Order: sequence, then structure tokens, then C-alpha cells
Amino acid sequence: MTKIIKILKEHLFVEVIIIAYAVIFIFKPETGLNAINNSGYYLKEMLMIMPVIFVLTALLDAWVPKETIMKYLGKQSKSKGVILSFLLGGISAGPIYAAFPFCIMLHKKGASINNIVIILSSWAVIKIPMLLNEVKFLGIKFMAVRWLLTVIAIVVFSWITSKIVKDEDFPSEPTSEPEGVIINRNACMGCSLCVKNYPELFEIGNKKAKVKKYDFNIDEIKLKKAVDSCPVKAIRFNMDFFV
Amino acid sequence: MDIFTMAIWIGTIIFLIFSLSKNKEKTKDALRMAMGMGKNMLLSILSIILLIGLVLALLPPEQIAEFVENQNVFVATVVSAIFGTITIIPAFIAFPLVGTLVDAGVGIVPSVAFLTTLTMVGVVTFPLEKKEFGIKFTVVRNGLSFVFAIVIALIMGVII
Repeated sequence: MTKIIKILKEHLFVEVIIIAYAVIFIFKPETGLNAINNSGYYLKEMLMIMPVIFVLTALLDAWVPKETIMKYLGKQSKSKGVILSFLLGGISAGPIYAAFPFCIMLHKKGASINNIVIILSSWAVIKIPMLLNEVKFLGIKFMAVRWLLTVIAIVVFSWITSKIVKDEDFPSEPTSEPEGVIINRNACMGCSLCVKNYPELFEIGNKKAKVKKYDFNIDEIKLKKAVDSCPVKAIRFNMDFFV
Repeated sequence: MDIFTMAIWIGTIIFLIFSLSKNKEKTKDALRMAMGMGKNMLLSILSIILLIGLVLALLPPEQIAEFVENQNVFVATVVSAIFGTITIIPAFIAFPLVGTLVDAGVGIVPSVAFLTTLTMVGVVTFPLEKKEFGIKFTVVRNGLSFVFAIVIALIMGVII
């Protein structure tokens, strides 16, 4: 019973939509048909573009050397850091909620607040495959002008943010890290690469990766591969754990 | 399929072949990731599309255009920006949607404000962002993004 309620709760949005359609079809069948027609148009547009955008995003994410970029995001990085931050945000795959923990990780590694705001904002707005999609529906001039203005705006307000918010304003980490392998489920986007790299340790549950219960010795090489392959760097493990 | 979509497909396929020839393992991982992301989003995207279809059936784009036109541009822009803040529509549905609205006669300025806040400001993701970055950062970043979205829209109205 509780399981049914849980499933119903999870898909609340879908259910509301289905009920709304049912109501419309009972009282105004014509409007209902019209709605289906409209949806059909967007569905067609989406199916034509969505697969290719996902593949392009994943390929860019795989080939742009993110690890190298991450080294140049500190406070002294100046304009080079700004450009690289735009690049990093622009090529990264995944929804915006995946960007939050990813940026926190960068901040711990020394990235400045200025650059973090740039990464977050460009992650949201300046996706290269999306720019192509924008040209298709709104024209190249529209896209180019909006892109240019957005870049300028991001540079300005990331600078303002870094003047207002200081490093101390970030929440501090809990001091005692739990032992073992941990997955940040807020960051995980369920791509299942970790499961592929280490199926004995990871599994997908509820659309996100989780660590299985295990009683064997962890294979360090396989674990490292899984950690490195995670596109949002959501897997962590305690170093002393292996000693 | 129009030329533009075709170009994206061809470009991506070339990239894919190149990637396969360079590193098969890496390419497979990338494709797996693309599949995983797509599968996770499919249901919610489908329901958003059905919702948009329904809204446009009840409120035809021409009617929306007429309504927006009768408002003060600044008010219309701020309202569109707020609308973009509270809704979550993936960008690849947002572009054809805004395309429909612009074709029906909705002005460029409110449209741009909507597009920009849609992706850059998030009420729905606010709690998550706050948890990771703290309240001050989240308020400042979202607040500034909102203000600048309106500035971008107003400037675009002058240029285009």
C-alpha cells in the first residue's frame, strides 16, 4: 500500500495532466483534440532534436579535457579563468541541479566564486548544442545577439557576486566524513556509467546510482575508474579506507 | 526534416565516427550516458509537452499575443520573466514554444526575458542550491540573474 502511494506521489505531475485531459475530453472534446494536435507538433520537434542533442552533449563532455581546465579556475586566474569557466559550463552534460555539487567540488579545489557563478550560469544558458537549436527556431541573429548579451551579463554579475559573497558564506562541511564509498545523490543524474565500470558495487535504484551492500574487498582500480568516469564527480571515497 | 536539423545530425554523426575511431571505449561511455540522461527525462518531458499542448488549446497563441500587446512593455517583460522563473521547461521545448509565440505576434522583449530566466533562474531548484552554496550566494546569484535577464531583453528589443 505504501509502495503504491509512493509511486503515485512520484508521478503526481503526470497524473494531474492525465486527469486534466480526461476532464477536457468529457466537456470539450474539440479543445481536447486541439490540445493533442498541439502536443503532437512539439513532440515531433523534440524527437527530431533531442537524441542528437544528448549525443552531442555527451561527446563534448567526453572529449573536452575537463581535468586540465579545472586547474586554472583559482582567484589568480583572471581572464583565462573566465574563458575556461564559460567553456566548462558550456560543454558539461547534465541538468542544472547536477552543477551545484560539481561547483562545490571545484570550490574546494580552489575555484573562485567569480568563476563558479560563470560555470553555473553558462551551464544553464550557454549550451553549444542548444544554441544550434535556438538558431533553428528563432534565427541566427536572435541567437547571436542574445548569446553575446548573455555572456556580457554573466561576466558583470559574476563579478558583482564575488564582491558581495565571500568564501566564508558557503556552508561548512560536516567534519566527520562517513567511511567508505559515498554517492552524492543530489548530483547523480542516473547515467549508469559507474554501474558499467563496477557492477558488483554500484546499482541504479530510483533513477539514481547507489552503493550496493558489499562484503568483499574493494577493487581499487575498478573503483577509481568508476569515480573518474562519473561526469558530475558525484562519487567519493575515504582515502584511509584502503590503508 | 529541415536543413538546419539535418546539419546538426550530420555534424554529430561525423563527430561520432571520429570519436569512435579515436577511442571506442570512451565513445561507448558517452553514448551510454546520453541514453541514461534521455531515459530519465523522457516521462517528465512528455508530460510537459502535453501540458503545453493543453495550455495552447485553451489559450491560443494569438490570444496570448493580443493580451501581451495590450500591456505596458516593461510590465509584460517582468511578468514573462517571473513566469520563466517558476516554470521548468527543457530548452529544446522552450525554443519551438517561443518560436510559436513570436510568430503569433508576442514581442521579442518579453520572449527573451522568459527564455533567459527559464534557464538561469530557478525557484524549483532554489532549495537544492541553497543547501550547497548557502542562502546568501543563492539569493544574490538568482536575484542578479533575474535583473540581468530583464536588461538583456530590453537591450535586445532595441537591437532587433
